[in-house]
Amino acid sequence: MKPGPRGLRLAPAPHLHGGGSVSRLMVHKVIALAPVTVFAVTLFGLAALATLVTAMGACLLAERLSAPRVPPGDGTALLTGLLLGLSLPPALPLWMVAVGGFFAILVGKQLFGGLGGPVFHPALVGRVFLQAAFPTAMAHAWVVPFAGGRASQLPDTSLAMPFLSPGAGYDALGGATPLAAARLGESFPPFVDLWLGTVAGAVGETSALLLLGGGLYLVAVRAADWRIPVALLGAVAALSGLLHGLDPLRHPDAVTALGSGGLMLGAWFFATDPGSAPMTRRGRWVYGVAIGLLVVVIRQFSGQPEGVMYALLLGSALVPHIDRWTQPAPLGWRTPR
Amino acid sequence: MLRRQPAFPGGIVLPAPGWLGRSRLAGDGAAWQLPFASRLSLPLRQGACTPAAAVVRDGEEVVRGQLLARADGAGSVPLHAPASGMVQAIVEQADLAGGTVPVIQLVPWPGDTQEQVVGTALDPASASPAAVLEAIAATGLVDLGGERRPLHARVGAAAGQGVGWLVLNGIGAEPGVAGARATLRTQAAELMAGLRYLLKASGATRVVLAVEPHDEQVARGFMALAAGTLDLFLRVLPPRYPQGADALLLRALADTPAGGVPESAGPWALCVDVATVAEAGRLLPWGLGMTDQVVTLAGGALREPGRYRVPLGTPLRFALAQAGLDPGVARVLGGGPMRGEALASLDAPITKGANAFIAMSQAEAGEPVPAMHCIRCGECLVACPVQLNPAELGLLARRAEYQVMHEKYHLDHCLECGCCNYVCPSRIPLVEQFRAARMQWRRRQQATVGEDAA
Repeated sequence: MKPGPRGLRLAPAPHLHGGGSVSRLMVHKVIALAPVTVFAVTLFGLAALATLVTAMGACLLAERLSAPRVPPGDGTALLTGLLLGLSLPPALPLWMVAVGGFFAILVGKQLFGGLGGPVFHPALVGRVFLQAAFPTAMAHAWVVPFAGGRASQLPDTSLAMPFLSPGAGYDALGGATPLAAARLGESFPPFVDLWLGTVAGAVGETSALLLLGGGLYLVAVRAADWRIPVALLGAVAALSGLLHGLDPLRHPDAVTALGSGGLMLGAWFFATDPGSAPMTRRGRWVYGVAIGLLVVVIRQFSGQPEGVMYALLLGSALVPHIDRWTQPAPLGWRTPR
Repeated sequence: MLRRQPAFPGGIVLPAPGWLGRSRLAGDGAAWQLPFASRLSLPLRQGACTPAAAVVRDGEEVVRGQLLARADGAGSVPLHAPASGMVQAIVEQADLAGGTVPVIQLVPWPGDTQEQVVGTALDPASASPAAVLEAIAATGLVDLGGERRPLHARVGAAAGQGVGWLVLNGIGAEPGVAGARATLRTQAAELMAGLRYLLKASGATRVVLAVEPHDEQVARGFMALAAGTLDLFLRVLPPRYPQGADALLLRALADTPAGGVPESAGPWALCVDVATVAEAGRLLPWGLGMTDQVVTLAGGALREPGRYRVPLGTPLRFALAQAGLDPGVARVLGGGPMRGEALASLDAPITKGANAFIAMSQAEAGEPVPAMHCIRCGECLVACPVQLNPAELGLLARRAEYQVMHEKYHLDHCLECGCCNYVCPSRIPLVEQFRAARMQWRRRQQATVGEDAA
């Protein structure tokens, strides 16, 4: 805006704005994640708290270092850190968490051009990096829920020194996620436990119910498009139900499938992130269904116990094509209705 | 129960900001007559018309309502003297199209009675449609709803298509242009007269009045007055911007088939806004030419916002001063808040069809908010009433991909309504980018046409 003659200022139309902003979206997402975060700290104690604080701190620091001139006011780095922390095993060595946070921001976000650029969700990129770099830790750093002394002391593994294996430390934790346990032939815990979240799992993925509530809040305040989680969860339920009907012994039923693993966290908070989702409404249906089907396929037919992370990545990789296939036709080119 | 699919997608519900509310209240009664400025400037190109041909000379004395310039071709309208006075000079002035246009400078006689020249009246009942159309052309009326094209051209085109309906647009293309409500309340007789002329000329037989709920009471009052004399229906549409745009309004009405409104989206109706019809009904029974128009002056920088009857050619600065312009005005818009253009100068005269000016105070204009990158949230796709992909278009505009924007992403369908801009959380100036892209594309195409010819 430059001053015109006689002090009149010029600006392009329109001269009204709805008031939405990126930071407002981020605030809504943090609010939606608050109950899950509180529950995680209750469930896993200091380990969860330290993981979350480390992840957020690492992301903020990385953003500050990589883009010193951009004010961090939009809150996107904080949200990335929160989501990364929520998706990690609670007893993961904290230095690994920090490495993941740095990788998420530096490679997942800034290398792709900063805000709006990333093809994949930055927090997911950070988690995938950790999965690839530290597979043992990522597979074993689970904690049993409500472990004694969780509020007063950190697990030994959390404080492991960088590049030194905590070795036997993992065995002392004794946790295993229901999906991993099921892979070893154990039966799933009752679905009430699964949905309430009183099971082992990543910091913020256990309580399907709280995640569902947070997701509904996002939809209610229009901070997330309902089409993606509905399509995603619908596809998971449909395919799981079908498989369960064919072979009830090998495949869990739909309610269990929906309540286990990182599905709710992924469906409501990762898949709805607009940067790595299609822009068109039809495309969002396609995207959700594709991820949902992939989740079940990976869980049931691959060597991995959990498939949400890879399904989300594969879904995001499809986005440019989905967007191209589902361009809306301008009004009047087809008859309405 | 499934909700009926709207006839066009998207659109936004605008909250009425304080200053729009004020102008609505202030604009409820009859328009206030503005005095003559000491000099009136009348460009021969008025509104979105082609230039007229001057029939007066420098130094000639003219009477109010006398012909100053005759229509020159179908896209042009005649120009009448807005005041009795003397033609001081006809000068060439730069216009926005990049050329120059002749401007008639008229000095009104101070203290003159300003009696208007009365032409030949025409009875719509007995005259032929062609004669009525000619009479409409002779008034020099343009569309006052924002399109600013010659009224006779629109009516003639509708007659050629054989439309059966006349849509009386009481919604308006822009929020804040407080026309419909006041016109329905204070100019009912003129509206009815105007309808009779337009029905005769266009060949339409039935009328549907479209309003939004906040004007329903007033519209019902008008319906009661008109009952029995006209085949008139009322349709109240839930508030949504920009359904007042003619093309979208025809769709919205066609989708709610009641009272026999046809469902097809084809050219089934002539769409005219209430202010234009009322003006036609004011001029045609007396054979008058258009010498002034009702203009909404609104905004927080005005002490007396409201509707004013402004003589054509009045300098904007004079009109705003009459409405109590605060010298601390931050921004003046020609048009409404969604599509209006911020003006760099207040010296330009008010021409035909310029139906609103908004003088924004510092608080209303606010501080500029820097645009962020697109976060691909897709809100603009939901808001777009013509189903374009504004986000993708915005990204393409940054790379100057004008050809892709037009050929693959249909930029030529854009209404520039501003909905995408309104909802954008990153505050990307999408409309500005689209306007620039359209201009560049047009220029490039003209250049290639020139090369082909050479």
